Amino acid sequence: MSAFTTVEEFRTAVRDWLDTHDLVPGPDRSLDAQVAQLGRVRGALFDAGWMRYGWPERVGGLAGPAVFRAVLGEEVATRGLAEPGIYSMVEVLTPTLISYARPELAAEMVPLLLSGREQWCQGFSEPGSGSDLASLTTKAVRHGDTWVVNGQKVWTSLAQFAARCVLLTRTAPGHDGITAFFVDMDTPGITVRPLRTMHGVDEFAEVFFDDVIVPADRMLGRPGDGWRLAMDLLPHERSTCFWHRVAHLYTRLDRLLAQTDVPDDAALGAAYLALHTVRCRSYATQRRLAEGARLGPETSVDKVLLATAEQQLFETVRDLLPGVLELDDSPWRSEYLYSRAATLYGGTAEIQRNIVARRLLELGRE
Amino acid sequence: MDTAEVELLSQTLRKTMTTTASGPALDAALVELGWSELLAEFPDAALPTVFRLLGETGAHASVLVDVVDTMTLPYAGGRWVEWERGSTVVSTGLDEELPLRPVPTGEPVPLDAGRRAVGWWLVGTGRAMLTLARAHVLDRVQFGRPLASFQAVRHRLAETLVALEGAEATLAVADDPLGSLLAKAAAGQAALTAARHCQQVLGGIGFTAEHPLHRHVRRALVLDGLLGSARELTREAGALLRTEGSAPRLVQL
Repeated sequence: MSAFTTVEEFRTAVRDWLDTHDLVPGPDRSLDAQVAQLGRVRGALFDAGWMRYGWPERVGGLAGPAVFRAVLGEEVATRGLAEPGIYSMVEVLTPTLISYARPELAAEMVPLLLSGREQWCQGFSEPGSGSDLASLTTKAVRHGDTWVVNGQKVWTSLAQFAARCVLLTRTAPGHDGITAFFVDMDTPGITVRPLRTMHGVDEFAEVFFDDVIVPADRMLGRPGDGWRLAMDLLPHERSTCFWHRVAHLYTRLDRLLAQTDVPDDAALGAAYLALHTVRCRSYATQRRLAEGARLGPETSVDKVLLATAEQQLFETVRDLLPGVLELDDSPWRSEYLYSRAATLYGGTAEIQRNIVARRLLELGRE
Repeated sequence: MDTAEVELLSQTLRKTMTTTASGPALDAALVELGWSELLAEFPDAALPTVFRLLGETGAHASVLVDVVDTMTLPYAGGRWVEWERGSTVVSTGLDEELPLRPVPTGEPVPLDAGRRAVGWWLVGTGRAMLTLARAHVLDRVQFGRPLASFQAVRHRLAETLVALEGAEATLAVADDPLGSLLAKAAAGQAALTAARHCQQVLGGIGFTAEHPLHRHVRRALVLDGLLGSARELTREAGALLRTEGSAPRLVQL
């Protein structure tokens, strides 16, 4: 049983604790420093118990409703303690382990992630399989008690820091021929090469698999469950992670307000309205989650609203801080450039609209 | 009211709105159904249900007057209008069905509930347009296939739904002046987005007077200005942010 009966109690206790424990990041903004800071924040929050609320006891959690995780992440984002993108990865990886890993494996591994002792990554996209994820070709072939993996992944966040990878492979043709594994990244045959991105943070990597041997008991689910695993994971990505990201974006609007001297009320109001709208939508999604609803294609609406709001906010930053992105060395430049990817990662804006048209508007096939 | 009761109310209201002539007759029918008591006792359920259904059915009644408790209402551009409850005279406005008449001035009144009401009316109007457009693109065949199979068409309707869903989320949680202002702005913007995309995918037929689309387009344009347009309210929110120096987080988990 959780020690807290209401969200308000939990929030107050988290705030009190954070007020008296200094987890503010240092001046170094490099990715190495960000990942080290993430480990520090998770470790401290895990040791104090906060990071464990909202997760089941069988994986090292302290139970309580999932909304506690949204509240904790909002505090972390609002105080700027950890980069929200990498902080929120637990929201996707942990539910996947809980739903698909052997119970003993989940119980052994999840605490390593929650406590910040390990980073994990997600090997989904491939050079030839981006939007068309189901066409992936990284192959896994059975050899007795093991599987041998060959292929290449790309856009794998934090792969160079990761100890484990949730990996999608091809074991047979079609959607039913995709199988997921939980792979140790120090297995011989895995090569990681970070990608240089336009915003200057090498958060993504290419990962190569050459005759990588994976024990059969590291399979997540059964052969052919990989596509379902990937689809189950998306609503997680679009509920609690989004609440965290929206909290982060509010801090950037505050920062803009503090720095701009361009009195453009229309632009500021429009950026605020877009953020408020996605916050309200994400709130509704949190409510549905709390009522036990199974999230599905309607979260594509959240995704479109968030990506649109994020890009609009950073366009407004550029307009209302003239010259700053282009001439000054400040975090705005990297953050503005990163916002260009908001309509790409996690399923492009076009894929989201396809889903809305097909699944929510029921317009039939293209 | 629980979900089942709201659903029952919704069915009754929809039936009344689609079978009763809009205007004084519908006003009378709504009073008969207990509108005054509903508004007094269950405003959180009654207001969204009634106004959203006015939009969806394309009906109109003077129930907004009960919500704001005055007939003289502020309009965009610093203008004022009189809601002439009981009038059957054809209006000279863009939406000639609504009994609105420009007047020189009026008395400021609290607008929060009124803005939420008009907001729900606007998203209902947007839903009505989306329903018409959806039916058309599934039905109409060009180049040997339904319009609904073309991605450019699908994406316009997807954008429309996203805007309407977003606006509804802001309306559902609005309970203070700023929240109501933002919700009215989001609803106005969403209805105008719906008007633009639905008009486009309806093509030529949507431009005729015989197709119902134009009635909803007119209503969206007129309702957007009522109690402040999306454009004006957005600017007002921006001014407030600059004064406060930070962005209020209105919704808490």
